[in-house]
Amino acid sequence: MYVPWTVKYKPKTISEVVGNDDAKRKIIEWIKSWDRGVPSKRAVFIYGPPGVGKTVFIEALARDFGMELVESNASDYRVADAVKRFAGRASEYSTLFGKRRLILFDELDGITGTADKGGVRVITDIVKNTRCPIVLIANNAYDPRFSTLRKHCFLVEFKRLSKSLLIKHLRRICALEGIAAETEALRFIADRANGDVRSAVNDLQALAQGKKTLKYEDVSWLAYRDRKDVIFNVLRRIFYSRDANDAKMAIDMADVDPDMLFEWIYENLPYHIKNPKELASAMDSLSRADVYRSRVRSTQDWSLLRYVIDLMTAGISVSWSRRARGWVPFKFPERIRSLSGSKGERNLLSAIGMKIRRRCHVSANRAVKEIIPYLKVIFENNDEMASGLARWLDLDDEMIKYLRGDL
Amino acid sequence: MSYEMWTEKYRPVTLDDMVNQKEIVERLKSFVKARNVPHCIFAGPPGTGKTTAALCLAHDLYGEGYREHIMELNASDERGINVVRETVKTFARTRSMGEVSFKILILDEADNMTADAQQALRRTMERYTETARFILIANYSGKIIEPIQSRCAPFRFTFLPEEDIINRIKFICENENVDISEDGIDAILEVGEGDLRRTINILQAAASVGKVITADVVYSVVGRANPADIREMIRLAMNGEFIEARKKLREMILKYGLAGSDILKQVHLEIFRLNIPDRWKIKLADTVGEIDFRLIQGSDEEVQLSALLARLAEAGYEIRGDL
Repeated sequence: MYVPWTVKYKPKTISEVVGNDDAKRKIIEWIKSWDRGVPSKRAVFIYGPPGVGKTVFIEALARDFGMELVESNASDYRVADAVKRFAGRASEYSTLFGKRRLILFDELDGITGTADKGGVRVITDIVKNTRCPIVLIANNAYDPRFSTLRKHCFLVEFKRLSKSLLIKHLRRICALEGIAAETEALRFIADRANGDVRSAVNDLQALAQGKKTLKYEDVSWLAYRDRKDVIFNVLRRIFYSRDANDAKMAIDMADVDPDMLFEWIYENLPYHIKNPKELASAMDSLSRADVYRSRVRSTQDWSLLRYVIDLMTAGISVSWSRRARGWVPFKFPERIRSLSGSKGERNLLSAIGMKIRRRCHVSANRAVKEIIPYLKVIFENNDEMASGLARWLDLDDEMIKYLRGDL
Repeated sequence: MSYEMWTEKYRPVTLDDMVNQKEIVERLKSFVKARNVPHCIFAGPPGTGKTTAALCLAHDLYGEGYREHIMELNASDERGINVVRETVKTFARTRSMGEVSFKILILDEADNMTADAQQALRRTMERYTETARFILIANYSGKIIEPIQSRCAPFRFTFLPEEDIINRIKFICENENVDISEDGIDAILEVGEGDLRRTINILQAAASVGKVITADVVYSVVGRANPADIREMIRLAMNGEFIEARKKLREMILKYGLAGSDILKQVHLEIFRLNIPDRWKIKLADTVGEIDFRLIQGSDEEVQLSALLARLAEAGYEIRGDL
């Protein structure tokens, strides 16, 4: 049976909800304040991007506090009457069953169409008079339609989750599913999720369910989801074409970025061309394609690109006898993997480079190459000198962690 | 021990502090005396005092508050001439207060600018000559376009004498209370390659490791450029194990952050130590030279070095066939 992992691993208690600790604490305090009587703000208005745990948290909260959650997806109750019917009574008879009630209007953004005339006004009235706590949830609390409602609510923002929190969460799920996952793979998923736990977990399930291991190669396709076959065809045509023109035409077959294709050719070349003389000739051609690439870059004259293409397609195909030696699968370019896997690292490096530049009269580029390697040695070996330097260079915690090798 | 980068702590402040590049320093002092500085090009290998000389000159010219009168730009960070032009414009628009009527703009790594950018720079230099003087710093003055060269006073910085570097190492060690062995000094000299900044950075990193700086400590600090790795990579390639050799190369570039030019330099050394026919050594040296040139021109390090590895594999194959 297919159970979505977002359901299977839905937090049961407050403590299992990841991230947004500040916001969670505020809401817990507000709920507790009801023990001392009705507070000035009878509703809390939670807002924030999708998939950051707003609803999940409220559900866990109700469970932890032993409250009955009267839940309404506001888009289901699109007219004022229905809203009143649903929530009005619930809010009046709060203690009727001995168990306290928590009223939830979820997806409030959905109530703002013209058909919902009066819906927000009714909710505002209920909020003003309610005898039990109300929670409102929306992506955007600052929609003009909520301006009056907002005044009666305690506003709490839920933010996107940090990448490290997401990775932690994904890793926990992998552990429970018995999947050994590469950090790089999880980081890739977390990167794409952009702080949205729900979509990260959905992606993880799509990629990892039923597997014992999750490698970067398994996930990197997300970025080029439907391009795998395209690139394979182009590569096959280049490596095994009949003649130079045929190989050249391969690049017209599909809209493939030449730089990307270059990486694919460069990675796969030695797995197909085994004869040393032929390999040297093919690599020579590819390296000359690269020379033209650098000329394109330095002159910004894109007409030179045609020579890049000639040398990386036809140049390869004529370098060897093109004898197929059984089935050789194409490999994902490892260089892309290390580059994209460490994109954050490169950003961090250049940020540290900028810090060094301010102090040391060198370019950030040069600092990255010539100074950071030694800083790493210092940070790994000598806490005292390291902390002094960290202050002198004004490094932040993440930079320090990186230099220590803790990241 | 103090807690800043030693390269900064021990950077000379005045021209009088500068021990090396005597002739250059004398000429710069005459500029100070005359209260006038022409546009200059400081060219020479890294870590020989170009930036220091520019800063010292400014210090002596303007006094302690010299920082208000100079601006440091870096061609490799400030990509695009527009940034340079705009910055220069704002900087040079106002006249310097005090007896020196111009400001100084230090443009580091100027040889990284494209020819077009240099042309634009030339115009900017001309327009603001009255209020700003340029000191262009470069490793290779040959990469500065003629029209700029002809407008600048050229200064060629040369490698520092070994003795001066040794004295500097000893001086710093004494000051920082660090012990260094004789073989430690030799090792630092070797891996520092005449680049004083690199030398001092290695020294500081080595000092952070433990009490006494020995050759072992030094090599472990820079151990990443281990000659053994290079030899292994060459061996793999010549054995025809290209994919393995490339993996090794990748490791050196990506994991240890080695510069392609450094790897190439060592490959070049190793080639002449190989047990192969001499004519192959020359052939391979030619290939290394070509690749080196391409790297200087900004080609992709790994791709170019891989092409070299493929050549080595081919050489190994042919040499075995010859026997």
